[in-house]
Amino acid sequence: MPNIAIRKLALSTVSMAALAIPAMAQTPAATKVTDQGISATEIVIGTHQDLSGPIKGWGVAVANGMKFAVDEINLAGGINGRKLRLILEDSGYDPKKAVLATQKMLEKDKIFANLGSMGSPTVAAAQDIVLDAGVLHLFPLTAAEFTFKFDPAKPQERLKFNNLLPYVESTRAAVKYMMTEKKFTKPCVISQDDEYGKNVLDGFTQQLAAMKITPASVTSYKRGTSDFSAPVAKLKSDGCDLVVIGGVIREPIGIMGEAKKLGWSPAFLGATPVNVIDVPALGKEVVEGLYAAGGFEVPYEDTAKGKIKAWVDTYRAAFNATPNTQAIIGYNVVTTFAHYVKLAGKDLTGQKVLTALESGDGFQDIFGSPVTKFSKTNHLASTITSVQQVQKGRWVVVKNGLTF
Amino acid sequence: MRFVFKTNYDQDIRLFQHAGQMWTYLALFAVLLVAPAVVSSYMLSQLVFVFIYALVGVSLMILVGFTGQASLGHAAFLAIGAYTAAFMQAHGYTFATYFLLAGVLTGIVGLLVGFPALRLHGIYLLIATISFSFIIEELLARWESVTNGNEGMRVKTLELFGMEIGRNSDYFYYLCLGVLTVTIIVTLNIMRSPTGRAFIAVRDSETAARSMGVDIAATKVRAFGLSAAITGFAGALFAHKMTFLSPEMFTLQLSIEFIMVIIIGGSLGLHGAILGAIFIIMIDPLLTLLKDDVPLLIGSLAQAFGAGSERVKALEDGTQALTSTAGLKGVIYGLIIMLFILFEPFGLYGRWLKIKLFFQMFPLYKKSTFKRQKVYVKSERNR
Repeated sequence: MPNIAIRKLALSTVSMAALAIPAMAQTPAATKVTDQGISATEIVIGTHQDLSGPIKGWGVAVANGMKFAVDEINLAGGINGRKLRLILEDSGYDPKKAVLATQKMLEKDKIFANLGSMGSPTVAAAQDIVLDAGVLHLFPLTAAEFTFKFDPAKPQERLKFNNLLPYVESTRAAVKYMMTEKKFTKPCVISQDDEYGKNVLDGFTQQLAAMKITPASVTSYKRGTSDFSAPVAKLKSDGCDLVVIGGVIREPIGIMGEAKKLGWSPAFLGATPVNVIDVPALGKEVVEGLYAAGGFEVPYEDTAKGKIKAWVDTYRAAFNATPNTQAIIGYNVVTTFAHYVKLAGKDLTGQKVLTALESGDGFQDIFGSPVTKFSKTNHLASTITSVQQVQKGRWVVVKNGLTF
Repeated sequence: MRFVFKTNYDQDIRLFQHAGQMWTYLALFAVLLVAPAVVSSYMLSQLVFVFIYALVGVSLMILVGFTGQASLGHAAFLAIGAYTAAFMQAHGYTFATYFLLAGVLTGIVGLLVGFPALRLHGIYLLIATISFSFIIEELLARWESVTNGNEGMRVKTLELFGMEIGRNSDYFYYLCLGVLTVTIIVTLNIMRSPTGRAFIAVRDSETAARSMGVDIAATKVRAFGLSAAITGFAGALFAHKMTFLSPEMFTLQLSIEFIMVIIIGGSLGLHGAILGAIFIIMIDPLLTLLKDDVPLLIGSLAQAFGAGSERVKALEDGTQALTSTAGLKGVIYGLIIMLFILFEPFGLYGRWLKIKLFFQMFPLYKKSTFKRQKVYVKSERNR
């Protein structure tokens, strides 16, 4: 295809330019990128997931999605003739284990890239080791800033990229939409006491500050709690008409159930982790009408069409589990990586993959997420958000393409 | 068999009972000194974690093993040390200053926690220390101006004598080794002083200790303070090793892990703290390696017995599927701990003593040497 030829040409120009720039500009030092893990037949990639700890509900499904993508790519002949080999380690959400697992993968398995590793404290503790080894740290399962914001003075930091929708930005976009389009006047927030909950809270307060609105009520709960009677009573007495929930799966169900008990029905808006199949599946009629910020449309097995239908069926057959958002994110981690490795060409090196990632070439997944695109200065794929709502027990997209 | 003939009371409290002991420890120390030149940085990293856990183990040994006070609050002490170090470093203090202060401040908090311990025993003290650890966890999450709350706190690279010491560098390894060695020597000296003897007296019987003129209150508070201070030092090292701190790292689970260090290691002496730390840290990487290597081993065994290549592949895949089952590591880990508690209450160190005696006495070893004369449950003991 001429398209590819042009792209290749553009790419080689870009890579030549990239090589030329350090000589001209006064960049402190060139980024060291390793070629380890690349052989004539294989590319080794590694990830640490929580398979046995507090967020294994995410870790196991993400790992399945990643395995699924690896198998699919290998069955189709690999990337430019090289097959992927995935090293999967369990961190149990323990930063110490994440550090040791990462060192093991770097030294024993000689991974070429660290993909989709799980959790904020775990990734925070282990990320530097990956970068210092010259190994790409791609698309971890935490939307925290340290996974994509980089300091140009530190060349190794250029190796980190993220494609997850960040909590702060997505919450801001969703809150903005709800406040302007749905005309709510008394917004409130209830968030859990951890780094993720803090991000949702920040997104909420930043957006309201930008819109010059004071929140009617701000409350929090301890992670793992199941009794929401006190905070919900507080929200009700403060007269909220929109409640933003910085929870995950059980919390929105618990909070809305409590509100129902009190005969109180404001609008509820969850952050992105709420936008998973498990919420309406477990919450049933309790969560009917719940809004959530999301990245892509959640596919259902009976209504999926075309490529997504095929994906959903193969996934179900392979893992005997419901294909969910988590699995899709895991799948996308690997397919996005594969896209840029393919772009880097047959004569593969670490430097070429980095150049391909920063080339600005877009990747579109099969699930209709916003296009993934990075540049030399921006290592975060996208902040475009959709707002979805549970209608008749299913997530339905209300509005797409939102920003704040 | 060696027989140490004692001619002087001082011989009972010497650090080394005989020359052989001294040479063994010096040899061990020499091995640890050359280790960075020999082992991979993955292994070195594990050793650093072993040293940090061993520090906490020593501190728990003083409090739980020697003084007989329970604690499930050591994750909180570790957090206080770690956050103090990180906060002061961010405000421009030198390593020497904030390292010392991390220990001192944690020690003072430990003294304060020690006061309720005067009136509480066993399970009640345990609950008090758990609540203390919850309070600290909450404080870390709320006191955002200092701890950066739930967002967590990044720790800068350690600077000592004008050079940066990375957390995976040989220098950091030596630093941790040095701190651990000094702590062990200081602890051994304390344990042979009147203070240390008072600790043990309090553990064995408070009534008896009091009748011997031991100030129970002061002794308990001292034990808490000392134990907390050592954990505080460990916390400062921990902060630099992790480079990131957040409240959810210092949960009850970590305190339980610390208690496991001395249960598995054995509460007979400081050896137990070290052996326990080695076990707790190394078991996970070891199981990880087994997960990778056992399928290949089974495969090559099958090949050796003349199985066809398809069968070998099937066997390898089968074992692979079994060994990569999520949570299997947790099951094996739990099983090992249960077996220890059931069959070896004196832990790894107790087992080592038995093995040693077996060879020293061979063929005259008798099991009953280690038979416990009377089994106490804490609450039954006359206080």
